[in-house]
Amino acid sequence: MILITGPLFSGKRDAAKRLLGCDDAALARRAVCDAQELARERADVEALADELARYEVVTAAEVGGGVVPLDPRERAARERAGRLACLLAARADAVVRVFCGIPTVIKGELP
Amino acid sequence: MTVLVVGGAASGKSAYAEELLCRLSGNAPRIYLAAMRPFGAEAEARVQRHRAARASYGFQTMECYVNLKRAAVPSGAAVLLEDVGNLCANELYDGAGSGDGAADAIVDGVAALQARCAALVIVSNEVGSGGARYAGDTLRYLRTLGEVNRRLAARADAVCEVACGIAAYYKGEEPR
Repeated sequence: MILITGPLFSGKRDAAKRLLGCDDAALARRAVCDAQELARERADVEALADELARYEVVTAAEVGGGVVPLDPRERAARERAGRLACLLAARADAVVRVFCGIPTVIKGELP
Repeated sequence: MTVLVVGGAASGKSAYAEELLCRLSGNAPRIYLAAMRPFGAEAEARVQRHRAARASYGFQTMECYVNLKRAAVPSGAAVLLEDVGNLCANELYDGAGSGDGAADAIVDGVAALQARCAALVIVSNEVGSGGARYAGDTLRYLRTLGEVNRRLAARADAVCEVACGIAAYYKGEEPR
């Protein structure tokens, strides 16, 4: 699995499509996008990371850069999103961070 | 040559961009193209601080809040455009702005500057790492700024992120 991370709207989905050489329809089968949203509903992020690791590509937005949210549910969701991203990165063969549409490999090598 | 300089608030991106433009400009006149409409005392203070910092570099300040394409920048000038975050907000929310055409208006404006300038340094903002749940129209703003950043990065010769005043290059190399 390859993890693609980066800020919101930085071009993660486009990077995934380029990496897999596929269109949106194929991407929906081969990849899971916005994993940070899945973390919000799940307490068992370890199990979630194991499930997601079976896909070819997972994208997850960085969401931990702002001030700590006042709402406890938002705080918990942000906490889980960050933990999930770390667990995914540990399971990933390669990790790519996209910044302004420019991918940088920050772990491993791309196939 | 076009360089896109991106960073968070108070990351040192302005000072870095000013220094960079001076390095790139040679004998060309230096233009500071300001996009922030100063509302209130805090903004005025920010403008004064930036103006004072630039005075020693010999910048001429021009203002452009919307419709960058129409900015009457002299041909052959070295231009520092600051910043794209404000330009996006103006194009989206100012009555004179392009609304849903904001991204195109900014990218077209930059293309026009690139065709006319000897050197162009563009300062933009990275604000997309603070979460995805925003009230009101904030996501529309983030989506627009994200799109503009990606398109400007594709057009630029070099792209860097500034943190603590230090630039890390993701595309091209730091101009010497």
